Amino acid sequence: MPPRACLARCGIIPAVPEIKLMGENEAIERFVADGDSVYTGYTSVAFGLCRAIARAGKRNLEVVGGSVGIQGTMLVMAGCADRVRAGYIASALRPGAITAMMESGELKYEDYSNQAIALMLMAGALGIPFIPTKSFLGTDYLDPKNAHHPGAYLFDQKWREMESPFDGQKFVALPALKPDVAVLHAQRADKYGNVQAWGHQGDAKWAYWAAKKPIVSVEEIVDTEMIRADPGRTIVPGFKVAAVVHMPWGAHPSGLTGYYDFDYGFNAKMGLGRITRSKEEYADWAAEWLDPFPDHAALMARYVELYGQDTLDAVRVDAGPVTADGISYGHGRNLRFRMDP
Amino acid sequence: MSGDYTLAEMMCVVGAREFPKRGVCLLGMGLPVLSGLLAKLMHAPEIAICTEVGALDYAPRPDVVRASIGIHDLILNDGSAMVTDMVDALGTLLMGGNVDFGVLQAAQVDKFGNLNTLVLGDYRAPERRLGGTGGNTEIACMAKQLITIMPQERRRFVERCDFITSPSYIDGPGARRRAGLEPQGPNRMMSTMGVYRFDTPDGGETGSCEAILEAVFPGLDPEIVQIETGWTLRVADDVRELEPPTTEELALLRRLDPYGFYLVPGRY
Repeated sequence: MPPRACLARCGIIPAVPEIKLMGENEAIERFVADGDSVYTGYTSVAFGLCRAIARAGKRNLEVVGGSVGIQGTMLVMAGCADRVRAGYIASALRPGAITAMMESGELKYEDYSNQAIALMLMAGALGIPFIPTKSFLGTDYLDPKNAHHPGAYLFDQKWREMESPFDGQKFVALPALKPDVAVLHAQRADKYGNVQAWGHQGDAKWAYWAAKKPIVSVEEIVDTEMIRADPGRTIVPGFKVAAVVHMPWGAHPSGLTGYYDFDYGFNAKMGLGRITRSKEEYADWAAEWLDPFPDHAALMARYVELYGQDTLDAVRVDAGPVTADGISYGHGRNLRFRMDP
Repeated sequence: MSGDYTLAEMMCVVGAREFPKRGVCLLGMGLPVLSGLLAKLMHAPEIAICTEVGALDYAPRPDVVRASIGIHDLILNDGSAMVTDMVDALGTLLMGGNVDFGVLQAAQVDKFGNLNTLVLGDYRAPERRLGGTGGNTEIACMAKQLITIMPQERRRFVERCDFITSPSYIDGPGARRRAGLEPQGPNRMMSTMGVYRFDTPDGGETGSCEAILEAVFPGLDPEIVQIETGWTLRVADDVRELEPPTTEELALLRRLDPYGFYLVPGRY
């Protein structure tokens, strides 16, 4: 009897693993509900999935992430999200619609930091109620009067200054964060949702585990044998994943380690800055680069039609000096045993 | 001599020259990345460059085509000793006490070296909302030494930050300890006009903890620096004039920024 059947008989895993592979629109329809908190960060950028959320017209979402990229603030401009919990909001770097909405309180926000959100996601993943940090000590974040600001919505639930019960050291208790949804983009997965990712992960690694419903788009769907031959590269096992979506160029115009670089040229042409500069410019941008496309593949086809395959290929990673050697996960013959009765 | 150079180029070169010569460093977004890469390639090859996104001990190949654009750049995956995640970089590495120095930039700095990355004006009635702190706060809280690189303008060099996101010596001697932070130093600051140290022998416990101008850019004198400083500047008795960038320094710096991402003409 193969090991899988043996484990299944004991009730440890289902006899036949559930197939998690589905289209992007189905995944968003099934697993993103109005009012959900949605993780989207600055690495593993799921630009395609965020466009799918925008197209689906979800409402009252909270965007969370240590650093929230433009795909996250796009959800604000699209009217899908009305709250942002982050340490850094790229679209607020320059004055525009996002800064104006924050200054007026139209957009609700709570300021944390990259470390804070990463640790809060880890606490959420670990199932503990809070996590201590030495960050924020000595800053104006902790001034009680700053708990109330135009965008505030967490108030005294945001964090708490405390002393260690063991040695009296000061620390800040950060509440655990368990987003309803995380949208992430990774290199590859099998149809069961076993996801493999490599390259620096930012706070994405813990978002896979903290989120109740991780939705992962990948460049390639591979055989499950390929995953199981190299399990150290797996960032989350399929049983934890809600949906996996096959979406080549799913991070574009952001990049993905080993596949393609950030597309600076396209950014200049397509003008990502237009997304958050003003509501009028957003409408123009959406009419051009969001609304016409039923899915991400259609958008990429439009890219090629406008700029040519060569332009797209120019940002592809050439697999030159960075390819790693093959390694072995094998074991010695003396450790083999049979699971058959 | 090397002919024309901008003040921002000079600042990056001075930053690179003044980098500690060894140790583990976390580079923040912006000019610290460019200056740090120049340091690694030219002045301080033994430093271990890390970023909060998860690249640890990044060793750019000598022929690296460009500096990392931001700290999320995938180029940092090529040649790092380890790539991991933010809990490792800002938790295990930084909070665990393994970072010798952090290098940061901000929108405002004050006379005690505190930084502001979040908001201009009152946080509760903001005049101008900014991008936010990212990892700036925890690096300032926990790095054993803090290096600041930022352009000097009167609106940026203020008596007291509108909002301290990232503490250096807070409001003077003893403040770090009272806040629950470890001592930090010797802290340094490079601007587009000069180089500063801070008046404390023991990481913020004693001394005035104020910035002291110890060197100026070629052709500048402290009176001119004072014009772009929002507090009464303290100047070292032996204030020196810095050497202009060498041809080699300038050439490498410019090669590292082929798209003008960092050294935007006319910005500084």
